[in-house]
Amino acid sequence: MKKITPYLFLIGPLAMYIVWVLFPIFHTVIVSFTRWDGMTKMRFVGLQNYVQLFRDRYFLLSFINNLKWMVGFVLLSIPLGLLFALLMDQRFPGHRVYKTLVYLPMALSFVVIGQIWSWILEPTGGVVNTFLRWIGLSNFAKSWLSDPKVVTYSLIWAALWRQIPYAMVLFLAGLQNVNRDRVEAAMVDGANALQRFWYVVLPELRPAMVVAVTVNVIDSLRAFDIVYVMTRGGPFYSSSVMANYMYIQAFHNYRMGYGAAISVIQFLVTLIFILIYVLNVMKKEEREV
Amino acid sequence: MRGFRFFLLLILVVASFAFGKERVVINSYMSDPAPRKALEELVKMFEQKYPEYKVVINTFAHEDFKVLLRTWLASPKGTADVVTWFAGERMRYFAEMGLIVPVEEVFAGSKWEDYFPASFKSTCSYKGKIYFIPQSWYWWGVYYRKSVFEKLGIKPPKTWDEFLQVCETLKKNGIVPIAIGTKFPWTAAGWFDILNLRINGLDFHISLTAGEVPYTDPRVVKVFDYWRVLVERDYFLPNHSSYEWQEAATFLFRGQAGMYYIGQFIKDVAPAEVKDDLDFFRFPIIDPSVPLYEETPIDGFMVPANAPNKKGAIAFLKFIASKEAQEKFAKDLGRLAANVHVAPPDEHARKGLNMVLESAGVTQFYDRDSNPEMAEVGMNGFVEFMHNPAKINDILRRLESERKRIYGK
Repeated sequence: MKKITPYLFLIGPLAMYIVWVLFPIFHTVIVSFTRWDGMTKMRFVGLQNYVQLFRDRYFLLSFINNLKWMVGFVLLSIPLGLLFALLMDQRFPGHRVYKTLVYLPMALSFVVIGQIWSWILEPTGGVVNTFLRWIGLSNFAKSWLSDPKVVTYSLIWAALWRQIPYAMVLFLAGLQNVNRDRVEAAMVDGANALQRFWYVVLPELRPAMVVAVTVNVIDSLRAFDIVYVMTRGGPFYSSSVMANYMYIQAFHNYRMGYGAAISVIQFLVTLIFILIYVLNVMKKEEREV
Repeated sequence: MRGFRFFLLLILVVASFAFGKERVVINSYMSDPAPRKALEELVKMFEQKYPEYKVVINTFAHEDFKVLLRTWLASPKGTADVVTWFAGERMRYFAEMGLIVPVEEVFAGSKWEDYFPASFKSTCSYKGKIYFIPQSWYWWGVYYRKSVFEKLGIKPPKTWDEFLQVCETLKKNGIVPIAIGTKFPWTAAGWFDILNLRINGLDFHISLTAGEVPYTDPRVVKVFDYWRVLVERDYFLPNHSSYEWQEAATFLFRGQAGMYYIGQFIKDVAPAEVKDDLDFFRFPIIDPSVPLYEETPIDGFMVPANAPNKKGAIAFLKFIASKEAQEKFAKDLGRLAANVHVAPPDEHARKGLNMVLESAGVTQFYDRDSNPEMAEVGMNGFVEFMHNPAKINDILRRLESERKRIYGK
């Protein structure tokens, strides 16, 4: 009896998991092998969608843009988030106020953030260009959201505005667990601030680092809201990402099969990183047990 | 006991709401303030005339509506009884799949011609049955501000050369010659349509949008040769992909841009002090041997196959077709009513109607005449061309391979 009880408790959540998570994934994989407009009968076409996908320059562009997002998220939000966390961890007067201010973008939805940044980056009257012209750098004033060369970076920047505080929170939590005695011991031994950070604090932040990196990678691969609100992937797909391209193909062009194939690729890429994350967490738990 | 009595009362109240009046649900894309208000007032008129119905309007942003409509139509249990939509291919797309139903009962005891022009019938029908009730239609023209043209001594151009001169004059005076907002790329399709109509004529345009002509055809290339002149001389609004069509219109309203090739609906978003200053001219003639054709999209309503209250839907459409309802909507928005008994509501609309009547033929619009998938890649190609005119051959080759895939020919 004792052995069955946990499974009895699990039935509910498991059933939900199967209906709401596993089945849709399975179904998407099936749809990706068909030609389907979402209304009439599905037609099985084998690997045709995938073959087409790898010849589709806009899909490849979206994929590359996702990689740019990933690099931007990892290389900027992790160090900056860590920097902010270290700053906020100092108990200077009013640190709570600053913490709240930095954290504030986290409380906003991506739609709101997208709208705010659309105004900030507006080419004629937006804050950024107005400021650049005011300090005499009008050459640097750009059409941030319609120049195909810069548009993706503008979007990544807007997303980082929310992502950096997120990383900061993760590191702040990690800093709570840092053993103060060890830091003080290092201080007594004559380690300077940089050495203390590098040899004592940073190693203890490793779990937080693993979480921050994987979460950022996953977030960058599923980017959608900001792109959808600010440019819808335009102009002519230059700022498109996989999720956005899937949305256009499936719900705008009525190509469910093709959209599903994009989702499957996106799923596989993301899965690799989730696996790394999960394996890491499991290893850590084993150590603790 | 008291709780039970209260519960009973609650049920009664709810029931009287639900059963006392029949509910008719309209899903609408009229999200700009002016058309939205006009529709709300129309619904009030309808409820007064048919007290047995209670109408609920759900309004959606235009671009979202286009995506959502399919999910409403395809779901097994419908919620909307009437939906706004476009006549032509985009309506037929749903009729072909049986997702909307014929609305011939609207004409019980009468006939189409008692209400609408005979020439509209085919656009509103599929396989000989009427599926679409037209409400209003409008024309596309080159909009400008009379006061700006007067100040600079510009006369509305009639030919392509005159048009280029006007652009040059505006540019010299520090005014952007042509406003356009391509954040949503359909505005660029307007330019493609009208240039193609002026250069190659209606029959060619129809075959092209029907997917029967390659995009690499030299006649298509010629369209871009003309368009390219405007792009390379920087006549279009800079950063046009940052703006939606309404945002681009503000440049015209403020006098920072000179002209805007757009539909009459631009008046919906014009501030009161500019509205009467706005005028339009027919898009200039390029090849005098090609007759004049114009774009005149027809807007209206259709009934989903899964509509819960079809009877109510038909009653509403019957009202929409009536002279009083058509007159009210046309008057509020300065559009042309589909109903033949309604005169153009003002001078501006009369001018538009005359322009159309003098034309040798009309089309709907690129994304209303083409298959939706082709329209999506086509319109994005047009915007890409406006950014990189030198890449046109590359773009057209891509459109052609998409055309082959989509139409399978």
